[in-house]
Amino acid sequence: MNKFQPLSFYAKQEPIGYQLLPFQFTELNPRKYLLTNLVGEFHTLDKNKLKVFVGHQLESDDLDYINLRAKQFLLDTHNTIAPELLALKVRTRYSRLAEFTGLHIFVVSLRCEHSCPYCQVSRQSEDKRAFDMTPEIAEKSLDLVFRSPSRAIKIEFQGGEPLLNFALIQQIVLSAEARNTTANKTLGFVIATNLALVNHDILAFCKEHHIHISTSLDGPQDLHNKNRPRPGKDSYERVMKGIELVREVLGKDQVSALMTTTKDSLTRVRDIIDEYVRLDFQGIFLRALSPYGFAIKTKSFRSYTVDEWLEFYKEGLNYIIEINKKGIAFQEYYASTVLTKMLTSQDPGFVDLMNPSGIAIAGIVYNYNGAVYASDESRMLAEMGDNTFKLGNVLEHSYEELLTSDALLNPLEESFTLSVPMCSDCAYEPFCGADPVYHYATTRDYVARKPESEFCKRNMAIFKYLIELMESDPSVKNLFSRWANRT
Amino acid sequence: MVNRVTREVAFDKSVTSLDSLKRAAYRFIDQCSVEFLPSESSFLCVLRFNPDKSEESATLTIEDFRKEVLDQELRASIKAETEGVRNLILAHAFSKTGLIKDE
Amino acid sequence: MIQLHGKLKHLSPPSSGRVILSLTTNQDLPTALASQKGLLSDGASSSAFKVVFHKHKPTQLLEGSYHFLLPADLHYLGEGDVVRIDLKDGSFRVLFRKSSGHNSILLTEQCNHYCLMCSQPPKKIDDSWILEEAKELIQLIPQDTVELGFTGGEPTLYGDRFIDLLHLAKAHLPRTAIHILTNGRAFHEIEFARKYAQVKHNDMMVGIPLYSDDPVRHDYVVQSVNAFNETVRGILNLKSLNQRVEIRVVIHQQTVDRLVHLCEFIARNLLFVDHVALMGLEITGFTRANLDELWIDPYEYKDTLSQAVMLLESYDMNVSVYNHQRCLVNDDILRAYRKSISDWKNEYLDDCTNCSKMNECGGLFLSAKQYKHSQYIKAFM
Repeated sequence: MNKFQPLSFYAKQEPIGYQLLPFQFTELNPRKYLLTNLVGEFHTLDKNKLKVFVGHQLESDDLDYINLRAKQFLLDTHNTIAPELLALKVRTRYSRLAEFTGLHIFVVSLRCEHSCPYCQVSRQSEDKRAFDMTPEIAEKSLDLVFRSPSRAIKIEFQGGEPLLNFALIQQIVLSAEARNTTANKTLGFVIATNLALVNHDILAFCKEHHIHISTSLDGPQDLHNKNRPRPGKDSYERVMKGIELVREVLGKDQVSALMTTTKDSLTRVRDIIDEYVRLDFQGIFLRALSPYGFAIKTKSFRSYTVDEWLEFYKEGLNYIIEINKKGIAFQEYYASTVLTKMLTSQDPGFVDLMNPSGIAIAGIVYNYNGAVYASDESRMLAEMGDNTFKLGNVLEHSYEELLTSDALLNPLEESFTLSVPMCSDCAYEPFCGADPVYHYATTRDYVARKPESEFCKRNMAIFKYLIELMESDPSVKNLFSRWANRT
Repeated sequence: MVNRVTREVAFDKSVTSLDSLKRAAYRFIDQCSVEFLPSESSFLCVLRFNPDKSEESATLTIEDFRKEVLDQELRASIKAETEGVRNLILAHAFSKTGLIKDE
Repeated sequence: MIQLHGKLKHLSPPSSGRVILSLTTNQDLPTALASQKGLLSDGASSSAFKVVFHKHKPTQLLEGSYHFLLPADLHYLGEGDVVRIDLKDGSFRVLFRKSSGHNSILLTEQCNHYCLMCSQPPKKIDDSWILEEAKELIQLIPQDTVELGFTGGEPTLYGDRFIDLLHLAKAHLPRTAIHILTNGRAFHEIEFARKYAQVKHNDMMVGIPLYSDDPVRHDYVVQSVNAFNETVRGILNLKSLNQRVEIRVVIHQQTVDRLVHLCEFIARNLLFVDHVALMGLEITGFTRANLDELWIDPYEYKDTLSQAVMLLESYDMNVSVYNHQRCLVNDDILRAYRKSISDWKNEYLDDCTNCSKMNECGGLFLSAKQYKHSQYIKAFM
């Protein structure tokens, strides 16, 4: 029998020393840096150790050395497979790019009977039929939809209130399904509605065609009605009735809800979450107000600061974690999206957190009048009079003309995070995204100055918070891993 | 006219590059503007703070600025050392005859 | 524990050579068939058979066959089982049991690793005759066999001859799933991986051990320099050719401290593997020599095991936990828990007979019962 060699025999390095593999670093907190590699795998390091590491002085039996090697931040004689593993992961991360445009938004009508102050489309009264999409525009839009390489297509009906033009929704669904018998894509439909107008006939059609419903629920009754006024002041009651009816006909999980945070919401995050838990939703997306449309007109966008919003968000997230520890499975969807980018090589395809930007790549908008926009926010901007992100019109332009237009390619190129100041050296870049529409709306520049950007401030605070939570509590790390993988 | 705090910080050219100074200065653009005045052996940075900034606060920011300059120098070293292998990895990742069979 | 080998007493004059035989209890088989088989005899006999195995000392011996006395602990053998008998010294080994779900063919005792906990310590002898015998054996195995394992030593040391064996197995046993235990290093050469893929078997999987995300630690456990790099490259090559790969981890003192890190490494880098097996330590072979460095009571690492399993499951990976007693694991891993010790190896402690979950539990290895097992084994009431 041969002798067994000790660990030190296998730790020998020939040649001695290590090379650095590509990584970024940024402060996590006053004591530590966050290091991220090419695919967003991260490691936290005491600040005083970074210089030692970069200076090739870190000892090979140091636990940080071992962890950095395992996560492919350094290369020595023992992990020569590292560059290949990184290449594979980079490839996986970017492979989604080739499958562009999964989400197609059809604005079937701008008419709406609500008058929410944060609304991103102008109010139009119920009478003006000039604000409905025509069948011709719908069919031309569908021509473009089926040009997308993406194997899964989701068609989302928005407005105004899309149910005000239900006949067109029916036409689009039937036409899409007919086209799909040859196209063979995974086809899904969603209607984003305030539920005030839903009835059995509409739901029967939804059931037949597996249409999912998305509605707005800002919180408990008093908060919701305050945020979302309508004649009769009964938006909440209608939403409740609507949800019940939808569930009865389509099934419990066929309806989801979105909230918007107003100044009045800021102190009510637990109540808002309780409302969602009470209604047996599987999670909530804690959203900040966007600087578009009505929100700007009524100045409600400026009604709270980033710091106030972050406090709201953290309180909400902590509450949700508490709820999970009590055995109730409930997610926060923005965190889940970020966590997918932090913990896996998957791309959640969320337009605001993509690089290159998700405009047109993740989703595209066909407006009631045939105008094609690079994203929903691009449409909001247009409603304010700025057509910077309008790609063209379905009645005038071909698919190629729309997707190779300067209106699209310029912001995509100029906002590419790996080429712009600060983002290009930021450790949080793999979790973040370029958002040229937001930055243009707030500063008239696709890139803007990130130290002044609320998008940057908000996201960086969230990234740091999620990492600190994972590092301090293994049960939270496990919970987040399930959120990240949707398991 | 409101008096704005203005400070000058000098960096030895032999240990600090202008590129690092600019990158560091950029991160403080929400708090101050920076003017670079090169001389024979050093760079003089003139920081003009926003009107709401006090003297004490400016002193703290200067410290952060110095640390950020060091961080940027470190980033430059990392970039220089890893440029080659980074290009190799990216080329591998996007090549057709890559590690995974094309679907 | 079921006896699988022994030395049989000659009842007729010894000869020379080893033969492999399929067994039958049917003494009336026509000569054409009987001449290749071994008869399991309760008293009956026939000169048509190559070998007769007598359960009881016979009153007469018919000429034309070799006769052996079968000891009581081998009386369990039955129709369709395949055995090897040395006609000179009576050495006997059961090679295939029809009633077992876990048949494995040992292809070689040679290995290019020297794992601290190896349960089949390598021998540096020329045992290539075993491969020839395996080819014979495959042709005697019934076609309705669900699964067959190939083990060693390191089977891929045979190179192209190993690939030939796989082709043979596919040809003779097209509906039998194949599971190969290998360190995977031979597949770091893409050409060899391609030859393997060319077998185009529709149900073949390799089980490859990976003991740490730290290459130094992995190399130490398997006692071979550069093992980590070649093994991982082997896995990547196999997956690039759409072959099925399982990663196996034996949990002991040298692997448990980084077990969760290893699972993170697998989830981030090897997400596409088909299965991850987390296994308890078998106290046999080299394990006993290295017990001080290897032993840790499973009760002490049960929370780490839970974390590891939950991590892999959160990434939607297929995980199984093998060779652990039911009372030494947390309930949160039950979805992955398998009642798994091979039926010829498993045992229980005295206290276990009172346990309400005994039939969910895989029991212990005989070696564990004899030498070392957890202090915390306790019946569920």
